[in-house]
Amino acid sequence: MTLTVALSAAALVAVGGFLSLTIGNGLFQTRVEQVLQESKQASAEVQKTFTATGNTDVLALQTLVNEVIPNLEQNTANGSRKVALLRSPNQATNQFLQSPISGDLTVSDIPATLRNQVAKTENKLVYRTIYLEADGVMNQSIVVGSKVVIPVAGDYELYLVYDISDAQETLDFMQSTLAIGGLVMILLLGIVAYFVTRRIVAPVERAAIVAEQLALGSLDKRLPERGQDVVAALARSFNKMAQSLETQIGELSKLSKMQQRFVSDVSHELRTPLTTIKLATEMLEARVEELDPKARRALDTLVSQVARFESLLADLLEISRYDAGAVVAEIEPNNLGDVVSMAVSGLEPLAETLGCELILKLPTRPVDADFDPRRIERVLRNLISNAIEHGAGKPVEIQVGRSKTAVAVTIKDLGVGMSRSQMDRVFDRFWRGDPSRMRTTGGTGLGLAISLEDTHLHQGWLQVTSKPNQGTTFRLTLPRRIGGIFTESPLPLGETLSQRSRI
Amino acid sequence: MQKVLVVEDELPLNQQLTDLLENAGYQAMGVTDGGTAFLAFQDFEPDLVLLDVMLPNKTGIEVCREIRAVSGVPIIMLTAKAEDEDVVDGLEAGADDYILKPMPSFKVLQARIEARLRPLRQPEFTEIILGPLVIDVLGHEVRRDGVRVALTPLEFNLLQTLAEAPKQVFKREDLLKKVWGYHYDADTRLVNVHVQRLRSKIEDDPDNPKIVVTERGVGYKAGQF
Repeated sequence: MTLTVALSAAALVAVGGFLSLTIGNGLFQTRVEQVLQESKQASAEVQKTFTATGNTDVLALQTLVNEVIPNLEQNTANGSRKVALLRSPNQATNQFLQSPISGDLTVSDIPATLRNQVAKTENKLVYRTIYLEADGVMNQSIVVGSKVVIPVAGDYELYLVYDISDAQETLDFMQSTLAIGGLVMILLLGIVAYFVTRRIVAPVERAAIVAEQLALGSLDKRLPERGQDVVAALARSFNKMAQSLETQIGELSKLSKMQQRFVSDVSHELRTPLTTIKLATEMLEARVEELDPKARRALDTLVSQVARFESLLADLLEISRYDAGAVVAEIEPNNLGDVVSMAVSGLEPLAETLGCELILKLPTRPVDADFDPRRIERVLRNLISNAIEHGAGKPVEIQVGRSKTAVAVTIKDLGVGMSRSQMDRVFDRFWRGDPSRMRTTGGTGLGLAISLEDTHLHQGWLQVTSKPNQGTTFRLTLPRRIGGIFTESPLPLGETLSQRSRI
Repeated sequence: MQKVLVVEDELPLNQQLTDLLENAGYQAMGVTDGGTAFLAFQDFEPDLVLLDVMLPNKTGIEVCREIRAVSGVPIIMLTAKAEDEDVVDGLEAGADDYILKPMPSFKVLQARIEARLRPLRQPEFTEIILGPLVIDVLGHEVRRDGVRVALTPLEFNLLQTLAEAPKQVFKREDLLKKVWGYHYDADTRLVNVHVQRLRSKIEDDPDNPKIVVTERGVGYKAGQF
């Protein structure tokens, strides 16, 4: 807006300056022409009077001069005319006539250069602009000079002095009018610019605010649609966009909710038949002595697969609970060392079966922190059993660490390890590193996904680093106090780091 | 022989449950419809009811209320949804305990049933006076200002446990162990809901209890009089 006003002002000054210059020149020229015309007439008449007189008598001539010259004086509304008749210097004749001169004019007012010029020219008007002082004001005047030949007395110079300050006054008046007009114009321009900008910019600002609110999730925000102009068109298009966004996001979230519900419903629906199958299997198990070896093997398969089915269902339900945002952690002060020890001792039998040694390194001080012990033990059991399974029978090291702000556990195996691309997918649902590998624990493929959700519920980090044939290390880091901020884990992870964390 | 009524609309599961219960030495009867469950209860006069929540014609919650209106018989709810209101609704309707489908094994269910049917432990006192209440331990009766208050066996057990050690604060886990017979982590909502139910029967103002007092952050204890 300021720019608009500044540019308009510059344009106005330029146009005004040009106008006043042109008009000023025009005014002056007109006046000069008028003055020259008058002077020409006057000097011709004077010359004619002197040429026509037959008098050679100096006294008579003087009388004539005294009659004619003062008559040339004028004092009209259009400006005054003063007159002077001066004897040209350096003449042969010694007849002198008294030189009449208007009262408020002195010989020195007539520039010497002009006098020289007049002396040299014949039958021609010569003029010059001079400034005469009157009442302390310098008035612009034009002096027009011409030669008058007087019988006997010789060459005289007739000077007519015109006051043209009236032209200057006109010009001044015009200029000041222009200036005031210009100022008013700029002021008006400023006001107009202000209102126009407000009209255009305010809706744009409003649109920006609403767009921001939309971006922040208030999908029902709209712009007011008033009138038929561009602004209203913008508002209408904007609202159409917002409407379409809201509809699509609404549809997506509805779909997503339906899907979550579906998973949850399916899981629940499966529980009743699963219960029946389980109970039937138990009935059979109670009579296992009555079965032949093949039927017994079939029963064993049934029992183990039902168990697997059940844990899969439980994991699916747990994930669907996370997806629905229905999980609440029961956070209480705990000793992480105790929970780790519990998880380790629970997995000793599995480790023994696979000939794997579990090495537990605990700090001497208790590792107290706030967390949900049931969930964290589940995470640890999952990570440790994974390490045992993929550890190729080599020792698995479990280390617990603490700092002022955080507590951590690392679970390190020296087994098959993973490639970079495998590592990137390790937390994905139903992803399996090696589908052909026989799974001893019958994992569901959801274990790490749930572990990650459990970790995020505590605002912690779950990270992994791995190298093929060298082993894998998982690191769980939790804040000491829930909501506490930590920037570094108390335990190192290793050089390659696949960060799956949320702070 | 103790009698168990199985109210479960899934016929295969119902049959499987009754079979297993009979194998375990109970007399079991199966009902698949919520609408006829109460009639079956009145006919069969069971010692315990296994009650599914989702039933045709009448929900398990409604059946539970019907039975509670006339009897303090132990009721164990069967539910597939632990996180839902179902559990709390069922407990508030008067169920003593609940078990999630699929249960870890029939033995677990059997243990829960036995815990509910187990005769109450040998009382330490024959009569306890707790404020306005007279607890007749041998007669399994509670009188308030001479008027009999109808408590379920579980509620009676809960009140008796608190009253026998009037200065002791019981953690919810302790109560789950002593009253419900749980020996591992169980749902503490069981305790909360039953304490509420008990208070509504014995307190002057259940919102401002004097007999069963909450010890914030710990658990419950009997009030001091």
